Amino acid sequence: MQKALIRLCYRKIIDSSATRPWDKFVFEDSYTEFLMQSQLYNQEKKYTSFGELVMHVPNAEKLHFLVSAAVIGYLQQLHGKIPDLTNNLGKLFLPFKNFRFEIINSDIKDKSKHQVAVNFFTDHLIWHDTINNQLPLSVPGNTENGEILTELFTLPPFVSIYSIKPVD
Amino acid sequence: MERKHFLKNGLAALGLAAIAPLANACKKDTSDSSSDSGTDSSSGSGSCTATSSETEGPFPTKSPSTLVKSDIKGDRTGVAFTAKIYIKNKNNSCAALSGALVDIWHCDKDGYYSEYGGTSMQTVDYTAVHFLRGRQTTDSDGLVTFTSIFPGWYTSRATHIHVHIYNSSGTSLLVTQIAFPEGSDSAVATVNGSGGTTYGYNKGMTGYTYNASDNVFSDSVSNELASSVSGSLSGGYTLTHTIYVSA
Repeated sequence: MQKALIRLCYRKIIDSSATRPWDKFVFEDSYTEFLMQSQLYNQEKKYTSFGELVMHVPNAEKLHFLVSAAVIGYLQQLHGKIPDLTNNLGKLFLPFKNFRFEIINSDIKDKSKHQVAVNFFTDHLIWHDTINNQLPLSVPGNTENGEILTELFTLPPFVSIYSIKPVD
Repeated sequence: MERKHFLKNGLAALGLAAIAPLANACKKDTSDSSSDSGTDSSSGSGSCTATSSETEGPFPTKSPSTLVKSDIKGDRTGVAFTAKIYIKNKNNSCAALSGALVDIWHCDKDGYYSEYGGTSMQTVDYTAVHFLRGRQTTDSDGLVTFTSIFPGWYTSRATHIHVHIYNSSGTSLLVTQIAFPEGSDSAVATVNGSGGTTYGYNKGMTGYTYNASDNVFSDSVSNELASSVSGSLSGGYTLTHTIYVSA
């Protein structure tokens, strides 16, 4: 097959069932920030859910962006490696700089309804081939003694190929 | 508080050295002995958990919102600007309100806010996306201070700064705006005048909406007008203003 430059997208959903420390920090701090910032769009306290706010209040969808300020510190703590997704050797390897934070659901009266997603977009990866359900990928510039080092990766749920660009 | 310092200190306190990039992990990492896969460390019964095969980390530390900063310039440039905002409590004989959280946000020299781009992708280096927004906690004098650039203006609005004041537990006390003094010698006229072009303020005052015509300030400018905005283009301007809330 023809080699291609791809970017993967991983949509990591975090809700009240979160157990890992990083996930819990993101859950707690994004909810606190949502409670604070949503008051700007809910000054008469007419609405309780994020869905109602977005439907009825102009510009309330800016809350995705505004609340993201609460989680950027945690994204920086990942030091540029997408969490959870490992290569076939069980190692984290996917480099990222870009993300998009979204509030899926929330409610100012019911924390258990708070659910957010961090969409991680990888930097460019070279997709060399497909072996059964696995993709040999490489991170550009990652070489050893003139050989390109590769990573064997199986696409799990909530991971998609975000973009593709054929290369020679 | 400087976020970077917070992180650095936080990591130092945990005794963590910088974690080497994992790119060459295969040839370098010799400490992995477990054959467990994945990074899940929460499974297992009793008080022990299986050692994970991937070196866990970086260990997350509590991280304040990136809004929490005094210098809110981000990657924006313009005439230096300091905002000193005092919060006082109407319910306590107008005494200083300490411990209140104060969010401010304003547009850049060209009139753009940082939420432009809506929900599109952003980078972990947030300064190009989250600029001219900040949060500080009032001190014993009820004072918060922000370092920024002088706000520009955009069609249909006079120059202004948005302010949202919360009590210490995050409950909204007041959403308001600060208006700027006008007149030929005012900071607004000077920054947007010929001298300001050196600093990138190229809009001039043609088409500017004055406070009297501004649909936010026209009926309230008397108590929303900054007490003073003084300084110079080269030395920067300092805004001082007092906001009264019921806390």
